[in-house]
Amino acid sequence: MSTMDSISRLVRTRITQIVIVVCLLSAAAGYYFSNPQLDAFNAELNLWNMDIVIFTLFIGLITVFFSYSKSVSARTSEWPFRLYALVLIAAWIVMGLYSGLYSDTYQTAYLSTKITLHIAILGQLIFFYLSAMYRTFRVKTLRTGILVIFALAMILLNSPIITSNWSPADAISYWLLNYPGMGGARAIVLVAGVGGIILAIRILMGLEKSALRATGG
Amino acid sequence: MILFTPLIEQITPKTGQMFNLAIFIIMGVLVYLSYSFARQGRTWTIRPMEALDAIQEGIGRAAEMGKPVLEFPGISGLSAPATIAGLTMLGEMTERAIKVNVPVNTIPSDTGVVTACESIIRDAYNRAGKPEKYELGKYVKWYGTDQFVYAVGGAGHILAEKPAMVVYLGYFLADVLVTGEAGARVGALQIGGTTDQSAISLMALTCDYILMGEEMYALTAAITGDKYQLATIAASDWIKALLIFLMIAGVLFTAAGLKNVISFMWW
Repeated sequence: MSTMDSISRLVRTRITQIVIVVCLLSAAAGYYFSNPQLDAFNAELNLWNMDIVIFTLFIGLITVFFSYSKSVSARTSEWPFRLYALVLIAAWIVMGLYSGLYSDTYQTAYLSTKITLHIAILGQLIFFYLSAMYRTFRVKTLRTGILVIFALAMILLNSPIITSNWSPADAISYWLLNYPGMGGARAIVLVAGVGGIILAIRILMGLEKSALRATGG
Repeated sequence: MILFTPLIEQITPKTGQMFNLAIFIIMGVLVYLSYSFARQGRTWTIRPMEALDAIQEGIGRAAEMGKPVLEFPGISGLSAPATIAGLTMLGEMTERAIKVNVPVNTIPSDTGVVTACESIIRDAYNRAGKPEKYELGKYVKWYGTDQFVYAVGGAGHILAEKPAMVVYLGYFLADVLVTGEAGARVGALQIGGTTDQSAISLMALTCDYILMGEEMYALTAAITGDKYQLATIAASDWIKALLIFLMIAGVLFTAAGLKNVISFMWW
């Protein structure tokens, strides 16, 4: 291994780990304790974090730009869409830099295309819901069977004809949502939180190599 | 020391957070303990996970069908633990798939995740001994950062490519229904894992196997079989046992009107 490789590896692994540990300890200390210097330090780190996020946004954009350009020049199957995306990316950047992000022209052009397309996409969602409902109501597994029973119960218990003619309906649907439903939801949130913290500890200890392999860990 | 004394004097613990801190420290100690046991030769096993077997089976299925595998790491950025879990799985899955000549494509949402995915896939090709097969932009597709643009782009990709297996691992919301339905329509083997409750139910509608909450975080430990990673999963079980004990104690003492006994929980 050459000296340059060793230095590169040191920078990408050990220094990355040190930075992660310092940031984690600082954020954790700020969460549990009050201290003006600590708060100021964390505020500074947040600014740095924002800088890094913006930097990665540029890196991501450049990656997309290069990979799409390559796809267009190689005429892969998706090249017309990628060319369209490239033209739009360039057009929006030029327009934003020229007229300003909050100018009427930019906002009108952005909103009139983005919101219109967004609503068109959301409009399609109902078809996906219907299709998924059809798939669910076929009850191919025990899991979907249980889901269907409770989904039907909730639909019926909240329908006007049942609620107006059967007084316990409200109380039953409330109980289903706020007791077994809430209990299950909290169990998922709780163990997911524990799992997330354990994953973080694994990364800090250098055990979870896969995610950090990108940085040579 | 003189410099630090005034600083330390100004540090005041936040009310209600000290019990959380104690739990956090206990978690760290338990993880270190399990890691030490593993170093001394103690081995841990993990219960069979259907989704894990399905991923191995899906790679084989893709090899037989000559079709690619697709992974969605979700709509969050690199700061979300769920995204990290998805990326970790991407690396492991890609390495296994390349060995049987199955390409793994991925569709991230965040542009930062795009860069990470490229690095992870390139590294997986290097580890598998096939660096010449990696091409920038060939395996990582990006359709946009907006939730539903991402979903529709992903669905379009699934309908065009017809992958043999689609894996959803990361943070998702209603968007997973769009991609999940597209995957179910092309007959792909679908495995979903997320921590959001609303997305879990949508995954249950469209996926063949689901990983709920922390199962997703345990997946890489299970697939690699690494004894140190498995040791940390054992530690998470100890922590869960501790939390269950505290919850039961909290309920019983509160019900008995002895809230003072457990007042340390609000410390």
